Amino acid sequence: MKSDPRQHALNTLAEQLGQLSPGLPGGSAWSARRHQALQRLLAEGLPDKRNENWRYLDWAELDRRSLTAPAGLHGGLAHPPGTPGLEILPLGEALEREGERLAALLPLPGSESDTGFDLLAEASTGTGWWVRVAAGVEVGEPLQILHQRKPDAPSHLRVIIELGAGARLHLIERFAGGDGEVLSVQATSLFLADGSALQHTRLFECSGESALVDQLEASVERDARYRQALFMLGGRVLRSSQRLRLRGRGAEAELDGLFVVDGQRQADLYTVIDHEGPQTRSRERVHGVASGRGRAAFNGRILVGPAAAGSDSSQTSRNLLLSPTAEINARPQLEILTDEVKCSHGATTGSLDPDQLFYLLSRGIDPETARGILTYAFCEDVVGVVTDPAVRRRIEELVAGQLPDRDLIQELL
Amino acid sequence: MSNNGATILRIENLHAGIPGRKILKGLNLEVRAGEMHAIMGPNGSGKSTLASVLAGRPGYEITAGSVTYLGQDLLAMAPEERARQGVFLAFQYPVEIPGVNNVYLLKAAYNARRKHRGEPEVDAFEFLELVRGKMKLMGMNESFLSRGVNEGFSGGEKKRNEVLQMTVLEPTLALLDETDSGLDIDALKVVSQGVNSLRDPSRAIVMVTHYQRLLDHVQPDQVHVLADGRILRTGDRTLALELERRGYDWVQAAPGAA
Ligand SMILES: Nc1ncnc2c1ncn2[C@@H]1O[C@H](COP(=O)(O)OP(=O)(O)O)[C@@H](O)[C@H]1O
Ligand SMILES: [Mg+2]
Repeated sequence: MKSDPRQHALNTLAEQLGQLSPGLPGGSAWSARRHQALQRLLAEGLPDKRNENWRYLDWAELDRRSLTAPAGLHGGLAHPPGTPGLEILPLGEALEREGERLAALLPLPGSESDTGFDLLAEASTGTGWWVRVAAGVEVGEPLQILHQRKPDAPSHLRVIIELGAGARLHLIERFAGGDGEVLSVQATSLFLADGSALQHTRLFECSGESALVDQLEASVERDARYRQALFMLGGRVLRSSQRLRLRGRGAEAELDGLFVVDGQRQADLYTVIDHEGPQTRSRERVHGVASGRGRAAFNGRILVGPAAAGSDSSQTSRNLLLSPTAEINARPQLEILTDEVKCSHGATTGSLDPDQLFYLLSRGIDPETARGILTYAFCEDVVGVVTDPAVRRRIEELVAGQLPDRDLIQELL
Repeated sequence: MSNNGATILRIENLHAGIPGRKILKGLNLEVRAGEMHAIMGPNGSGKSTLASVLAGRPGYEITAGSVTYLGQDLLAMAPEERARQGVFLAFQYPVEIPGVNNVYLLKAAYNARRKHRGEPEVDAFEFLELVRGKMKLMGMNESFLSRGVNEGFSGGEKKRNEVLQMTVLEPTLALLDETDSGLDIDALKVVSQGVNSLRDPSRAIVMVTHYQRLLDHVQPDQVHVLADGRILRTGDRTLALELERRGYDWVQAAPGAA
């Protein structure tokens, strides 16, 4: 049973998309896909609290927001000028140029019961970026994309990245802006051909009122390597659902994540790492901090399929609760369908270490600063993986900005 | 014994413990400026409890008695306040704080103390000069500058680091909790050197120790024997030698001379 306001929001969206559709890019292949997705969305609806993988989200907050009138984004793009073998296009142009090929490449949202947001992103495909690195090309400098949402309208965004065999890229994406009346959705599809390597830094610094549902799927082929550093540092409600598929033999994924929620904010990270091929490796490490009445959830599933013999996975989740009203739900889940695999996982949730705290106090540091120092050090453990100095500084500012005595704290670390 | 300095620390009839357990049971001690005291006692006698209570570690209950530091009620002061007023504890088990830089923490501690005295803070360059000098004295290499607080330090390195902090901060009252245990003979010499360098007519040092071998390198004015939460005996260095010979049982069997 769907609540009336939701169905109403979907109906309004359908109407608007209907009006917009003649102007959307990609030719008949894409108008058909959008139409299909919309019909399914209207029939199946968005997931809700009763869905296991979505139960921790603040649905009251999401349901009061509008989904309508997808608008464009202000975007900034910084990339190494004229790198041969690196192509970057606004998604619309890419769909116009090779809509059929992209339609064949991108899988349709699956038939699971909670694909509503995938369908929503699919139905509004039009805005975003497409990047391709040709086989064998190593892009030396990081490619940086700033996704700046407008304050007055939702923007549904798609990003498609294709790495040819042996290609290498460091992609830095920053998600900013957004407002308090709307819910935005975005979907990212990553294709890593054999032996390629993508380093992916994703910084969510959305405005404090924004609500965003982020979806990402990566296909990692033989001996390819995907590394993501994920920072969920902004937004009133921020959900990220990710599926990393280790398809080929020897494929590898690493995910380092940090979420920090204060005030009334909420972060929800759901990851599935799917070991499909043999001898695939994954390492996942997620740190979370919640203060005030902040709420967060981390649900990390590791699936080791029947063909994934010799695979190795590790997952750790460490969480810091800084107030009695803050809440973090960490749920690691291992599903192993083959022998001869190595899996380790562990989750801890606690407050600051009293011995460390006392050590700092005994050196004359005041209690509030001492707590800030220890919290920052906890975050810095993950922030330390960021290699780009400017982006790292930005992340450190965002983390320290929520703490007292930020100058002193930053000097100490 | 040099009884000329002003009283820095006065402990009277101190009863303290953890919930459900009495550990200190009527402890008295007076420490004057310029003095060095050694408190010896068997394991579990309450030495660390005394040091913790003086530094303000949470979790201990004070059920009776008083502690006066420079004429003020020490027990009423927050731990950071005690530190800023010149109380320093070298921990028996210094905690590791990964990610927090060792030297910058020391600088923050140093400046917190200066600020409290109304002195201007020192800048990073000036401070590094100071620390480098002290590190040389402590036989520590430059890598200590860039490491996290006690992060991955060996037991001996942690103790040296505590003494380094002490020599930089120049406390009015230095409390050392078994800083000598777990050290090889060279490290013991270096640590003793650090302690000796701190001796000054305006300062006082209280060393808690389990072994008498530290006393081959430092010259305390008074040696106290702590057993079962009380100081059972007080004497000069010869008391330590006698303890070495006859063991703690001797003191416990024949109390009196306190
Ligand atoms: N926080 C604590 N929790 C439980 N027992 C404690 C605690 N602190 C001290 N004790 C107990 O009190 C006694 C005295 O301990 P301590 O002061 O550490 O002795 P010492 O340093 O002389 O070896 C010991 O029996 C010890 O086990
Ligand atoms: Mg002890």
